Amino acid sequence: MNANALPLQGIRVVNFGWVWAGPVTGQTLSFLGAEVFKVESRARVDMTRNLPPFAEGKPSPDRSLSNHACWAGNGSVSLNLKEPEALQLVKDLIAQSDVVIENFGPGVMERLGLGYAELCKLKQDIILFSMPGAGLYGPMKDLRTYGLSLTSTTGLDSLVGYKGGDPVPVENAFSDPYSGIFGAFAIIAALNHRRNSGDGQHIDFSQQEAVMQMVGPAYMDYVLNGRSGGPKSNEHPLGAAAPHGVFPCKGDDRWISIVVASDDEWHKLLAALKHPEWLKVTEFATHEQRLLHIDTLHALLGEWTAQFDDRELADLLQGFGVAAAPVLNVGDLLGDPHFQARKTYIEVTHPLGFKETIYGAYVKTSRSKPVIRPGPTIGQDNDTVFKKILGLSEARYNDLVERQVIY
Amino acid sequence: MSESKPGALGGIKVLDFGQMVSAPYCAKLFSDYGADVIKVESPGGDAARAMGPFPGDQPHPEKSGLYFINNTNKRGITCDVARAAGRDLFTRLLAWADVLIENNLPQQMQAWGLDYAGIAAINPRLVAISITPFGQTGPYSAWNGYDLNAYHLSGASSRYCGRPGEMPLQHGTFSADYFGAVAGASWGLAAVYGRDLVGGGQQLDVSCAEAIAAAFIGGQNIGGYAQDGRFDKRTGVGLPQGAPATIMPCKDGHVWMLALEPGQWNGLRKVMGDPDWADLDMFQNMKTRAENADVIYSFLHEWTMQHTKMEIQQKCQAAGCPITAVYTVAEAAEQPHLKARDYFVDMQHPELGKLKNLGAPFKLPACPGGPTRPAPLLGQHNDEVYGSVLGLNAGEIAALRQEGAI
Repeated sequence: MNANALPLQGIRVVNFGWVWAGPVTGQTLSFLGAEVFKVESRARVDMTRNLPPFAEGKPSPDRSLSNHACWAGNGSVSLNLKEPEALQLVKDLIAQSDVVIENFGPGVMERLGLGYAELCKLKQDIILFSMPGAGLYGPMKDLRTYGLSLTSTTGLDSLVGYKGGDPVPVENAFSDPYSGIFGAFAIIAALNHRRNSGDGQHIDFSQQEAVMQMVGPAYMDYVLNGRSGGPKSNEHPLGAAAPHGVFPCKGDDRWISIVVASDDEWHKLLAALKHPEWLKVTEFATHEQRLLHIDTLHALLGEWTAQFDDRELADLLQGFGVAAAPVLNVGDLLGDPHFQARKTYIEVTHPLGFKETIYGAYVKTSRSKPVIRPGPTIGQDNDTVFKKILGLSEARYNDLVERQVIY
Repeated sequence: MSESKPGALGGIKVLDFGQMVSAPYCAKLFSDYGADVIKVESPGGDAARAMGPFPGDQPHPEKSGLYFINNTNKRGITCDVARAAGRDLFTRLLAWADVLIENNLPQQMQAWGLDYAGIAAINPRLVAISITPFGQTGPYSAWNGYDLNAYHLSGASSRYCGRPGEMPLQHGTFSADYFGAVAGASWGLAAVYGRDLVGGGQQLDVSCAEAIAAAFIGGQNIGGYAQDGRFDKRTGVGLPQGAPATIMPCKDGHVWMLALEPGQWNGLRKVMGDPDWADLDMFQNMKTRAENADVIYSFLHEWTMQHTKMEIQQKCQAAGCPITAVYTVAEAAEQPHLKARDYFVDMQHPELGKLKNLGAPFKLPACPGGPTRPAPLLGQHNDEVYGSVLGLNAGEIAALRQEGAI
């Protein structure tokens, strides 16, 4: 028992989630103290376990660095669910668990013999958390999407791009970690309901609907004015601030973001720039004028920012109270003083002997300190689960391993 | 409104002391699932009230779409914490609450005498969720900042959004604010749920920039960079390692073209009528297709421009290919699938009238959530809250109003 008590201590989770979103839900619950076991198998290794780069450059399903960061916190038991004995073992584990997570398509759990009705027989108040792409029912429930294209069905993709141009794709699945973390909220809400009522339930978490919540502001412009927005570079999503953009700085691909949301902040910007004539023109005199002439304003400001180093300029502008920050690339993140001070990234030693850098608690807590463990190797918790929790004898366990039921 | 079933979070008392998107949306997740949320606004109101969108673009503090959508199911009061009497009222509300959700800059909270140490002294069982662009600690914590600054600090835009050599792009909405909001909601709700277990309340310090820099960008990139010192940047193409995998124009808009695995590619070929060019050797796997991106995308472009987005989606999906239309906001808002799932709900607002809203973000069959009561008018529940929650009588409330505390 850890002296540092975590809020979800005592909650056991069986996680069938694969690829990215489901594992992040498990990770979040684990950071908060739950005991999370991912169910996977060498019979069908998750594709993210084979994504390079690998620890020390040695390819192996237990050495993918991105997989480890995204899955850290999840434990792992390996079971070949095509084997009836494996299915029975996972049922035995569910009978002693609180939450089951899955992000397959609708109907897959039923076909595995693990539908909600079945799970209730194993554990009357079980919480089943399903997070299919477009929900458990409805005419498009079987729509095939990837995490990075799922956003296209919400309207969000139609808003990303250069002003007046075509939509530009976001090149990875923002929706996966977003839905993964959001999913943890849904599960804890259901745990709270179970505490109040004694009842479990089957949560229908449509990733499409969770992501579309972010489209709310643009959706309201449609509801109120019939308008459907489009790409507008880095301008304010509601057109309510100017300047509001990303501007070039000295060096290759260096940029700064600057936002001026009020007259007060405009005067701070003027002071930072030492009141240049080119900003003191009538076109920029009021908030309304600045919004009207935002293209000119941005172009002029960009000429000015281009003389500066991004970090020096951010410091200078912040010194006057202007909202400005450097636009960081991946190479900047690890050494950035802010992320270093907050221990955003941490180095851990993996049980296989190598060191790997993953992210730690992405929310800082003043009382309960999460224990951050490296990414799981396949089946690392088999001993604990099958012998300690389920009470299998050594002989029976070895037999199941031998016959690749535990695999 | 039907309140027959208590929500999942029934009995949890929340103060929303936030503005704009991050804290209000986080608090809305609590209120839409049944918590008793009191929104505390300064007499000038949440800045979202000035942001719109407004009907007919006519600014009106009670007609902001942004305020409407992120403040449902809350009671609203005004309180000027810059005045001693207002601060006193606020601290009495802190003593009542289980959760405080706020997104003021740390130095602002300090100036009001409401930093976490002070709050914990008033109510040690309080869970305080603070959501700011940069967080409560670290060298940028005192920086002024907004969603845009946080998003671009996270590495997300440089890595994943925009064309090489051109400016990195934001994510089309208040993405960093929303990401921080759901992170704060998950961790904050856990802290309330396990409050007795861990021995009391605590502060949850959410930096919107950090949450994305960790869980989105860090997860996929940081291990490799730390080990090998190499990193990638945006390419302007959806997935540069495989093709087709990007957004392309079509006859009436855009489609997200995706056909990577052999079955998907063969499905797409069939839908296109098995054109001769698709037989070329270089198009037989996703990697060589990506190496010849210019060629394949120009062939595909000829085909997509002859078809509508819905036609392409329907036919490709039927052929086992995960291609989707890029829905405009209007198309998403009218999507039959979402309507069949009751994702859009009707609401009645005193100033905006009858209008649609987005419904619950996820479905809890045993204790449904979602917006039922419209966002409060400024100070709408002053009498009710100050009367029933703090036990003030009408005369006391009138006096506080008189001196500007309410």
